[in-house]
Amino acid sequence: MATLTEAATTRRSARPVRRRRVSAAPYLFVAPFILVFAAFSAYPILFALQLSFTNWHGAGALEIVGLANYQFLLTSPDFWQSMATSGALWLLVVPAQVLLALTIAVALRKARFRGLFSAALIAPFVTPLVAMAQVWIILFDKDFGAVNHGLTSLGLPAISWLTSGVWAKVTIALLVLWRTTGYAVILLMAGLSSIPSDVYEAARIDGAGAWHQFWSITVPLVTRTLSFVVVIGTLTVFQLFAEPYVVTGGGPFNETRTAGLYLYKHITNSDLGLGAANSMLLVVMVLALSIASIRLLRSREDS
Amino acid sequence: MTNPLSPTPFSRRTLLRGTGAALLAGGLGACAPGNTTGSNPLPSAGVTKPPSGEITIWDRTGDLYKVFDKAIASFTAKYPQVKVNHLAVDVNAKLPATLISGAGVPDGAFYDDALLTGVAPHLHDLSQLIEQYKSDIAPYKLGVVTVDGKVIAVPWDLDPGLLFYREDVVTRAGVDPASLTTYDALLDAARTVRDKSPAARPIHLENDQFLGQLWVDMFANQQGGAMIDADGKLTIDSAPYRTALTWLDKVRSEGLGTLAKYTQPTDLQTQDNGTQVFVPWAQWFVFTPQQLLKTSKGKWRATTLPAWQAGGARAGVMGGSSFVIPAKAKNPELAWRLYEHLVFSKEGYTTVYGPNQVYPGGLNTSIPSYLPALDPDTPLFKPIGALGGQDLWKIAVEAGKQAPGGYTIPTWWGKAVDYFGVNVQKLLAGQLTPDEVLKTSATQIQKNLMGPS
Repeated sequence: MATLTEAATTRRSARPVRRRRVSAAPYLFVAPFILVFAAFSAYPILFALQLSFTNWHGAGALEIVGLANYQFLLTSPDFWQSMATSGALWLLVVPAQVLLALTIAVALRKARFRGLFSAALIAPFVTPLVAMAQVWIILFDKDFGAVNHGLTSLGLPAISWLTSGVWAKVTIALLVLWRTTGYAVILLMAGLSSIPSDVYEAARIDGAGAWHQFWSITVPLVTRTLSFVVVIGTLTVFQLFAEPYVVTGGGPFNETRTAGLYLYKHITNSDLGLGAANSMLLVVMVLALSIASIRLLRSREDS
Repeated sequence: MTNPLSPTPFSRRTLLRGTGAALLAGGLGACAPGNTTGSNPLPSAGVTKPPSGEITIWDRTGDLYKVFDKAIASFTAKYPQVKVNHLAVDVNAKLPATLISGAGVPDGAFYDDALLTGVAPHLHDLSQLIEQYKSDIAPYKLGVVTVDGKVIAVPWDLDPGLLFYREDVVTRAGVDPASLTTYDALLDAARTVRDKSPAARPIHLENDQFLGQLWVDMFANQQGGAMIDADGKLTIDSAPYRTALTWLDKVRSEGLGTLAKYTQPTDLQTQDNGTQVFVPWAQWFVFTPQQLLKTSKGKWRATTLPAWQAGGARAGVMGGSSFVIPAKAKNPELAWRLYEHLVFSKEGYTTVYGPNQVYPGGLNTSIPSYLPALDPDTPLFKPIGALGGQDLWKIAVEAGKQAPGGYTIPTWWGKAVDYFGVNVQKLLAGQLTPDEVLKTSATQIQKNLMGPS
């Protein structure tokens, strides 16, 4: 055994040492990105991960508490309520947004004044949210809002838009849809413009009607863009903070306290360890939901 | 000759080793927890050296910022060697994160009393400096700025609870405002108003969870109650809270209340159209008839709160703000000098509360917590047109002086909104009884906020 080892060592040392020299230039070129990424992405994530195992409140020594924060959150009804709220909002927002955006994008594909429509669609996205949220509060007020005024003048009952848990979610979802659908339309319009017109022409020659063309050509060929819209929508909903913060403050009865708002509460309460653990759980869940959505859409694309 | 563009050769291993070391060093360095001890000590109370230097002060955005700007000018006129960078900031949202990160920390900031305990570990202990003024500070306020035996903020304003009412509607209904001396009498008055006008829902019921908790706390404070006692023991499931919640439940169940969020459309419309008539609220409600109401401007009046029992206390406190000096302030001494000027000198508090360009009649949404400033016969602000020319100063001072002391804000007060505030909201929606609110809230607070974690 010893002889074999010696032989191997001799063979290795007999080989000339070749150290690969590399140029510094490529590294210097990417260094700004690496530094910015390390400072503003990698480091905060690693620090948050470290914090999630502590009970740090922003001052004093870091005290390691192991998995206690995760255990607390995973057994906390408040945490699951916030996740359920975000889940409900996801169901209210994302499918409706995809459907609406796709319909509008297809309708606008050959429309005149596309530029004008695009500008109009993006306007809600760039309008200051706090101002719009205030308008929403006035519009959806139960007793004096324009929406209920419209409903009652049609003989329909007034709805507690902001004071019932279920309807408050719908009100927030409508605000999110109003604000973000235009952006999804712009993305889908870009996706649609990349479909060659001769594909449609060939389909028409083969006798395919408009509906058939939509299902067999348009939808499959924009699946990648749709996946992107779904992922962006998922991220938006699970990070949703400003809309419920301004419109309902998380109420009534914490029914519109989204995952993002619940996380914010930890931070403002200086429960940084708990907040970091909540962030980590949120990352895992959003990642899982995004991957599941993409897989679902890709499987349709493949089939 | 070396080509200046030719790269310096070094191995990939060297590069990776260097990057790794830099990241590790950065990571470890940055993972060092924040320091709570101020690197710049505060002066002792006896320092007489004229102040000089530069400080950054944060105040809430809006009119109050403009008012403080004038008051700060009176300080810099007195001490020309001092430069004050006065910034308008969303302090409640920004201060906690700034204190934790330690970056861009101001030398002093205006901050809500209800949130003080949450940032207490990041603030200078002002006990020694405040000592000389202690006997001149309203007892309620002194309790609020004292955390674990340390004074952590310079006490600013006092916000006594008052009963605001629509004088025209009340008189038309045949109710004598002078008879509103107890909450039972208020209930009777509400019934009378509703009998005259069936659409009326005379008493305000607060539907925001944060303000709702603050509001119920005022009712409890009026009876000498608080969420915790002096030993930090949870006392929410107690008579003062039960009495207040039972009364509110009665208002709700008899259909005598307008359930609305403060200054939201329903609130303002019903106050203007005369269906909401009685608002037991902090003095700062006076902002609403002055700035937000239209048709009912001038028809509102204020009186001291009704008592829970005949002859009982007619005052409680709701809200308020103070000045904090962060432990990481660069120049805490100057910040203290500024706040000492604003709070404890006649020139300072007169400049803030007295008539100015922003408020020609003076700042009337609160009164100072410094007792020597509370002379009923020397008003700091003028009678208010939106209250029909009523002298609010006299009423507020009378109420402020009666506010029970010995009040302690628990460190978790803000977090309790998710439990107590929300349960109060459920009570007002008819989903919980007063007993259920108290028992559920006590269990939730004990488990989630006071437990072993």
